[in-house]
Amino acid sequence: MGKRFSRGPDGLGAPRKKQKVVHEAPTSEEVHASRQLQQLLAPTQDPARARHGLQSFKLFLDELLSSDPPNGDRIQILKGYLQSAKPADSDGDENLVYLPDIMQTWSYAGQTNNDNLMSAVPVVLALLLKLLSQSLDTVPYGLGICRTLLQKRQLELVARNLSADKGKAFIISPTLRMLKEAVSFDGGAIARPLFRARGFTLKSLARNIGIVHIGDEAEDTKRPSARTNAILFFLAAIKFLQPEAKKELLSQRDIVAALTRDVKQDPPYLLRELLSGLRNHVLLDEKVPREAKASLLTTSTLVRLSALYQYRSDAPADDEQSIADIAHEFLMTACTNPACGVLRQDSGFYPRGTDPNAPVPTVELEDLGLESIVWMNSFKAEVPVRNYTLANFLPNLRPWSSVKQSELITSVFRVAPELVAHYFLSNKSFTFEPKLSATWIGYAAFLFNTVTLPIPDHFCRASSFAELPPPTSIVIDNILPPPLNQKALARSLAQKSSMISFFATRILVVAIEKLDAAIKMHQDPSHSYKTVWAEAARRLVDEFCQRSPGVQDMINAYRAIPEGDVLHREAASRLLRLCYEVLPQVALMAKFDVSPLLETSLGRLSKQEVGDPRDVALSLKELENLLAIAGCSPGMRWFAASEGLSLSPFTMLLKVCVEAPYGVVLGTIREVLNFVAVEQQLVPAHDGHPGLVVLLEALQTLRQTHPDSADHVWAFLDNCLTRCANAPLKYVEKMQEMRQEVTETASQDVSESVVVSAVTIAMLEQLPFLATKPEGQAVLRALGIFLPKYLGFSATARESRPLLGFVFSKMAVHLVDNKGKLAKRGIPDGLQFTYHPWPPAEEPRPRAIRDLATEPEGGMRAEVFMDAEALKGMLSLPDGLEADHSALMRWSSKTADELVDEGYVTSLVALLVSEHTSIRKEALVNILKAATKIKQSEYEEKEQVWLLLSELGETARDKIHDGPLPSPIVAFACHALKVLRDPLSSLYPKVNAFLLHGPFWSLDRLPLVDEILSEDPVVGDAYYTQISWLLSYLIDGLRTPGDLELFHKKRAKGPLFERILTLAANPYMRLPLRTQLLRMLYRATSIDGGSTTLTTRFGIVNWLEAREAACTDAGEKAVYRELRRRIWETSDQDRVRGWSKGGIEG
Amino acid sequence: MAAPVKSDKEIAAEFTSYYLQRATKEFAEDLDKVRAADDFKNDAVQILVSALQQGTALFSPEEQRRIVTAADRPESKS
Repeated sequence: MGKRFSRGPDGLGAPRKKQKVVHEAPTSEEVHASRQLQQLLAPTQDPARARHGLQSFKLFLDELLSSDPPNGDRIQILKGYLQSAKPADSDGDENLVYLPDIMQTWSYAGQTNNDNLMSAVPVVLALLLKLLSQSLDTVPYGLGICRTLLQKRQLELVARNLSADKGKAFIISPTLRMLKEAVSFDGGAIARPLFRARGFTLKSLARNIGIVHIGDEAEDTKRPSARTNAILFFLAAIKFLQPEAKKELLSQRDIVAALTRDVKQDPPYLLRELLSGLRNHVLLDEKVPREAKASLLTTSTLVRLSALYQYRSDAPADDEQSIADIAHEFLMTACTNPACGVLRQDSGFYPRGTDPNAPVPTVELEDLGLESIVWMNSFKAEVPVRNYTLANFLPNLRPWSSVKQSELITSVFRVAPELVAHYFLSNKSFTFEPKLSATWIGYAAFLFNTVTLPIPDHFCRASSFAELPPPTSIVIDNILPPPLNQKALARSLAQKSSMISFFATRILVVAIEKLDAAIKMHQDPSHSYKTVWAEAARRLVDEFCQRSPGVQDMINAYRAIPEGDVLHREAASRLLRLCYEVLPQVALMAKFDVSPLLETSLGRLSKQEVGDPRDVALSLKELENLLAIAGCSPGMRWFAASEGLSLSPFTMLLKVCVEAPYGVVLGTIREVLNFVAVEQQLVPAHDGHPGLVVLLEALQTLRQTHPDSADHVWAFLDNCLTRCANAPLKYVEKMQEMRQEVTETASQDVSESVVVSAVTIAMLEQLPFLATKPEGQAVLRALGIFLPKYLGFSATARESRPLLGFVFSKMAVHLVDNKGKLAKRGIPDGLQFTYHPWPPAEEPRPRAIRDLATEPEGGMRAEVFMDAEALKGMLSLPDGLEADHSALMRWSSKTADELVDEGYVTSLVALLVSEHTSIRKEALVNILKAATKIKQSEYEEKEQVWLLLSELGETARDKIHDGPLPSPIVAFACHALKVLRDPLSSLYPKVNAFLLHGPFWSLDRLPLVDEILSEDPVVGDAYYTQISWLLSYLIDGLRTPGDLELFHKKRAKGPLFERILTLAANPYMRLPLRTQLLRMLYRATSIDGGSTTLTTRFGIVNWLEAREAACTDAGEKAVYRELRRRIWETSDQDRVRGWSKGGIEG
Repeated sequence: MAAPVKSDKEIAAEFTSYYLQRATKEFAEDLDKVRAADDFKNDAVQILVSALQQGTALFSPEEQRRIVTAADRPESKS
C-alpha cells in the first residue's frame, strides 16, 4: 500500500482531530464525612488526585439525587462540607467565592488545558445545583454558587468550556447542564445577570445547538448530545428571562436558526420540551412583543417544524400526544393566532395595494364600468399579499397526504383569505387530473375544505361593503380554485369510478353555494355604485361558467349513477337543483328532461323498494331536489305517464305523499303538488281554499281506515287528474252548468264565487265508465268509502255544499250502494282537518317555485277598475312601420354603420308598405343602393345585411307595383335587421338559416313563425326571448285587413291566431309576455273586422273569460274584462249576436 | 312514551356514521382499488375517512335530523 496523505475536508486541521482523546476512567472513593470531602476537593496540582476527588464527589451527588427520600446522613455530610466551603459573610460582598477549592481546581485545569478536569468541574456543579434546588434550606448555598459562577474568573472558564472544540462534547455538555441549572435556580433568580453576561454564558450557543448526536442508533436519553443540552439550556433561559431579554435572545438569528435546523433527528422528549417551551414561553407569552415572536417564526422555522408531520421515531404512550400532533398544534397556533407575530391582518379579497374606497369619477364608472377600476384585472396571474411568511410557508406543506396539513392550510386560509388565490396561483404544479389514488382523494378533500371556507365579511373583513367590488379573479379563485378547471372537473364527473365523480360533484355543490352567497353580496342594497357591482356579479357568473363543467356533464354524470346509490344520487340531484336555482340561464340551456328521472325516483319510492328508513329519507331528499328542478323547467310533463309506469308523475307524487310510511317531513313535496294543482286549475285558486290538501287529507284518512280500498283508487284518480289537467275549462264549464241547474231546480242560490274543485267534476264524469271495467266493482266499492270523505273535506274547505250535494247525488247512482244507504247518508258533516290557506302566508315555498309565483306583477295590481283609456295606454302600441318619407333622402350621406345601427335602413324598408306606388318604388331602389353600399363597407355583418336587403328587394320587386307589401313581411325585415346587428342574439342562427333558404320570400307565409313556435330554440333557454321577439314583429306586422287575413288563414298547423292564443295556456309564461299577447289582440281590434273575426273564428270572448277565471290577480282580471268589452264594441255586433245565438251581449 | 329528543351533537355523530356506512357501501369497489394503489400508506386511511365524511357538511342540521330520525319512527299506522 502506497503512502497516503490524508487531507480531509478540514485541511491541515484534520490530522489533529484524529488524535484519539483517551478518557482514562478516574478513580474514586466513597465519602463518609464532610471533612473527607473537604480533603478530597482541596486544591492540588496533581490532576489525577483532583479528578479522584471530583469523581468521588460526583458519585456522592449521583447517589443523593437518585435516592428518594435522600439519605439524611449524607445530606448532613454535604451540608457540613458546604458550610465549610462557604465564604465568611463580609457585608454581602458580590465577589464572595463559594466552593473556592473547586473553583481553583477549575482555574488550574484551564491553565493546564486539562480537558478531563474542565469537564469534571461543571459535572459536579450541575449535579450540586440540581440537588440544592430541591430543598429550601439549601437554596442560599446554591444561590451563592450561582453568583460565584457569574464572577469574571468563572465566566471566562464557562466561555472557554462552551467554546471548546466541537468534538469535546464531554466538556460542552456538562457546562450547558450547569448553566441550565443556574438559570433556572430558585425560579430564575439569577437569570437576568446570567443573560447580562451573555458574552460568556451564551458563547458559541448557536454552534453548540448544532452539535447533534451522531450514530445510527437513537440518542440515548442518559447521554444527551450537546445539542440536547444546549436546547434545554435555551429553553430554561426562555422560561425565566424577562420579556425584553427574551426579545434580545430571539433576535440572535444564528441561535434561532440553529434551534430548528436539525429538528427532524431530535429525540422525542427533546421535541416535546422544545415545542411546549416555545409555545408557552414565546408564542403565548403576551408580554413578548410580536416582532420578537416573528423573528423566531420565520418561514424556515415553520418549514422545518412542518417536517415533524412525518416524524415517526416516537412511540407515544396512550395518554400522550404524538410529536406530529404536538407540532401540528404548535403550527396551528403560530400561523393562525395574530398575537404570534406571523399572521398579519389582510383585507380579504382585496389584494395588497388596492384601495377599494378610492374615489373613481362617477362619469368614468358609468361609461366604462369595471374597466374604470385600474386594478380590477391585475390579479389574474399574481397576487401581492401582506402575509408573506405564510405565503412562502404554505407551499411546503403536503395537504394531499396528511389530514392535519390540509387542516393547517385551510385554517390559515380562513384567517388570511388573501392567501387562497396566491397559494393556487403560485403552485400550479399539482393538478386535479382524476386518478383513483389516495393522493387524488386527499387533494380533492383539501380543495373541498378550501371551497367551503366562508367568504370574508363584506369581502374585506370590515363592518360594511367597500365602494368598489373586489377583483372578480380573486373571488372566483376562492370559489373554484384554479386547479378546479373545467377540463379536470368534467373529466372527474365523467369518470367510470363513481367515487371520483362523487367527490367532484360534492365540490361543485359547495362551489355553487358559495357562488350564490357571493352573488347575493354583490347585490346588497347598500352598495353605492350598484351598476358596477352588478357588472362584477355578471362577470363572476361568466367566470364561474368558464371553470365549471357544463350542466350537460352534470346531467350525464347523474344519469350514470346506479339506482341504489342514494347518497351519490342525492348529491348529484342537489348539484343540478343548485344549477337551476343559482344559474338558471345556464341550466336551462341544457337539454334536460327531468320527468324520467323523477318518475324513476317516484317509482322506487312508491314501491318501497328501499330497506333502510334512512335510505328512504335520503331518497326523499333526492326527490325534493328533482321536484325543485321540475319546478324550474317548463318542460316538465306532470300529467303524462311514460311507458312502463301506470300513473302520471303527479299522481305518483301524491301517492308517495299519502303513503310516506315513516312520517318523514314532506312539506316541500306537498307544496309542489299544491302549486302544480293550482296552476293546472285542478283545484280552486281562491284565497282561503286549502287547494290540494283536501284531496290529500281524504286520501290519508282512507289509507288509515281502509288501507285496502286506498290501493284501488289510484288508477281512477290518475285518470281524473290527467283529464282535468288536460282540459280544465271543460270541467269548469260543466261545473257552471251544474251550478245553474242547482240554482234552478233546487231554487238554492249558489253564488258564483263559491265553487267546487274541477277535479271533483272530473271524478263525477268518469265514474260511469268504471262499471264496464273488470276491476270496476272493487274500485267502486273503494270510492264508495272515499268519495263521501273527500266531498266532506271539500265542504269543510268551504266549497259550495249544495253543489257538492248535487254532485254526490249523481255519483251515488254509480257507486255500489246497498239499499241506497250511501245516498241517504249524503256528505258527512264536520270533517275537520288543519290546513294553511293557499298560498301559504308564512311558510316559504321552495325557492324555484317561489320565483315563479312571485314574479313582479308590474303596475297592474292596483288598477282593478280599468276604462278604455287605461286599456289603450297599456295595450296600444304605435305603428312600427309608420311612413317617414324623408328617409329616402337622409340615408345617402350616412356610413354603413349608421345606416344599420341608427335605423336609416329600417326607415327605408318601412316605406315598402306605403300606399303610394312611387314611394314604394323609390324605396326599393334606395334599399338596393344602400345594400350595395353596406356590402362594400367594412361593416362587420355586411354580408348578412346585404343578403337580407337583397332578398327583400327580390321579394318586393314585382309585388310593389300592385300594392303595398304585406306588413308582416316588412316588419320581419325590420326586426331581423336588429337581430343581424347582434350576433349574440338567440335568434341570430334562425334568421341566418332563414336567409339561406332561398333568394326570395313567400308572401303568404310569415317568416320564422314555425321555427320559433314549434322548433327547438337552439340557444338554451331562449324560448321565451324568441316568443317575445316574434310577438313584437307580429304586432308591427298587423296593420291592415290584408294582414289580418294572413293571421287567420288556415294553415297546416292551424291559423296563426289560434297558435298564438294557445301560448297563453302555458302557465310559465310571465306577465310581460302575456301583456304582449294582449297587445296583439288589441291591435287586431283596431283593424276593420278584426274583432268580429276574433270572435267568430277564434272564440275570443270565451278565451278572455277563461283567462280571467284562471287569473288570480285582480288587476289582470280587469284587463281581460275591459278587452272583452272593447272587442264587443268594435265588432259587428249584429253578426256576433247572430253567430252566438244571443250568447254574447255587450 | 316518546323517546327523548336527541341533541344536535348526537344527531351529527349518528349522521356521520350513517353517511360513512352508506359511502363505503356505494363505493366499495373504488375503495378497494384505492387501497391497492401505490400511494396508500401512513395516513391514507385517515385521509380516506376524513375525505368521505366531509360530505356531511352538505346536509343542514335539520336535514341530518330528518334522515337519522327516520329510523327511529315507528311503522305508520296503516
